[in-house]
Amino acid sequence: MKRFRPLRADRGYDAALLRGIARGDQAALAAFYDRHAGWLHARLARRCADAETVREVLQDTFVTVWRSAGSYRSGEAGGWLWVIAARRLVDAQRAQARAERVVHEPPAAVPSAEDSALGGLEYGDVGTALDRLSPELREVLRATVIDGLTTREAAQLLGIPEGTVKTRAMRARRELRAVLGQLGNAATTPWGGLA
Amino acid sequence: MKREQVGPGGPAWHVDEAMSRRYADGSLPEPDAWSLEKHVEACGRCASAVSAAVRATGTAGPLLEDVRGALLRTVAEEAPGEGAGATERKRGAGARRSPLRPSAGRRGVAVRPASASLPGRLARTVWAAGPALRGAWGVALLVVCAGAVALAYGAGFLAARSVFFALAPVLPLAGVALSYGPYADPMYEISAAAPSGGLRLLLIRTTAVLGVSLPLLTAVGALLPAPPGVPGAAAWLLPGLALTVGTLALGSCTGCRTAGALVAAGWAFAVLLPAAAHAPNGAPTPAVLAEQLGRCVSGSAAQSGWAAAALCCAGLLALRRRAFDFAPDHGPGSYLNRLENS
Repeated sequence: MKRFRPLRADRGYDAALLRGIARGDQAALAAFYDRHAGWLHARLARRCADAETVREVLQDTFVTVWRSAGSYRSGEAGGWLWVIAARRLVDAQRAQARAERVVHEPPAAVPSAEDSALGGLEYGDVGTALDRLSPELREVLRATVIDGLTTREAAQLLGIPEGTVKTRAMRARRELRAVLGQLGNAATTPWGGLA
Repeated sequence: MKREQVGPGGPAWHVDEAMSRRYADGSLPEPDAWSLEKHVEACGRCASAVSAAVRATGTAGPLLEDVRGALLRTVAEEAPGEGAGATERKRGAGARRSPLRPSAGRRGVAVRPASASLPGRLARTVWAAGPALRGAWGVALLVVCAGAVALAYGAGFLAARSVFFALAPVLPLAGVALSYGPYADPMYEISAAAPSGGLRLLLIRTTAVLGVSLPLLTAVGALLPAPPGVPGAAAWLLPGLALTVGTLALGSCTGCRTAGALVAAGWAFAVLLPAAAHAPNGAPTPAVLAEQLGRCVSGSAAQSGWAAAALCCAGLLALRRRAFDFAPDHGPGSYLNRLENS
């Protein structure tokens, strides 16, 4: 099932702006900022309570866009921007937490995002199921599935050990599956790949 | 939020005004916010609508204006008259060094690493392309070539050319075996995980091995005195190629070292065993060895057989190309597992 298909003209506009930025066009950067800074700020603010960090990450993200617009190839400009911002946010959290935190053992490779899960997000059932999750589980699910972070990055962002991220992610999935099963639709939603 | 479904090809939904407003002031419940966030990543129109809604809020609006000013000042200072893309390329990963302080990054612009000269880069590429070339194999290759010439001209050993040709097809195999794998390359785990790892890297290294060994061995073969019956200097090229490609194809199942050993053993059996059987006292004479070599590589039938074998193995290799992305011996008791468990 197709979730959505953005208008071609809009995607072309962002790509054109990024090409302009890659050439060093400051007006293009300003236009790109106006189009994307708002949602990026709101999204960062939902994930980080400290306004100063959000501000630094926001500015740093767009400075990075200015410097590395040449590395943007094609595809979703917003997604590309979010990848940069999410990494910056994790870095910022780590820099803040470095003094207090113990070093953990190296992480195991863990798949981060699940597209199949996103396929179901516009269905009411999944929304209901997510609503019933506890906030900690939802936070972990958001970091790993929606924000596309690895277990390690999610742990740094949320300030919890990696093992906890893994167990919470597992519990979140189990509970989601149970709720979806109760709703009687588990077999018919595109959410079947959830394991 | 509209959730009605449009047919495939049309957007299923877009963010409406009320939803943008609630997202901007933080009152949108989590699941809906997730949908909006994923949608905004892909849809420029909704991205700009949500951004406008966030700008309209009391807290974020002034901050966004502030950051905009700071950003444009940073950018104006940073690259007067220079393309941003070019800056990034020269600075490489420098931007990543200072996640929090763009000012530190700005200083980094002034310190550009001098780009390496062409010979320097070439030398680095060759160094990286052939772990075999700079190790024991390179020495072995030189010893065989020097030994053959010394035996033929210094000691007057008549069979030098036959023995040399019996060895020549196996030498590149040894190089391939030493080029890729946990036992040969200290960087193996890292390079296997890199996007350019796997078969691509193995082929580059094989090319380096062949690029050195083929011209050298052919030239030395041509230099050696040719008694009658010994195949010509270029006759071993196709068998050598077929054996090398065969090693690669077999290596996709067993790993390059085992494959190289198996193929080399096969070649030795095919050439030496019949020669030893024909010899009166068990030790093959030069003439018998030359005759057996001739049967194996001379003539259009043998050569086209080798060519067909090379093509066949190349096809197999193409079919199994994904196999090199996973360490062939990455199972219980493998080198990697031993490393992890130690």
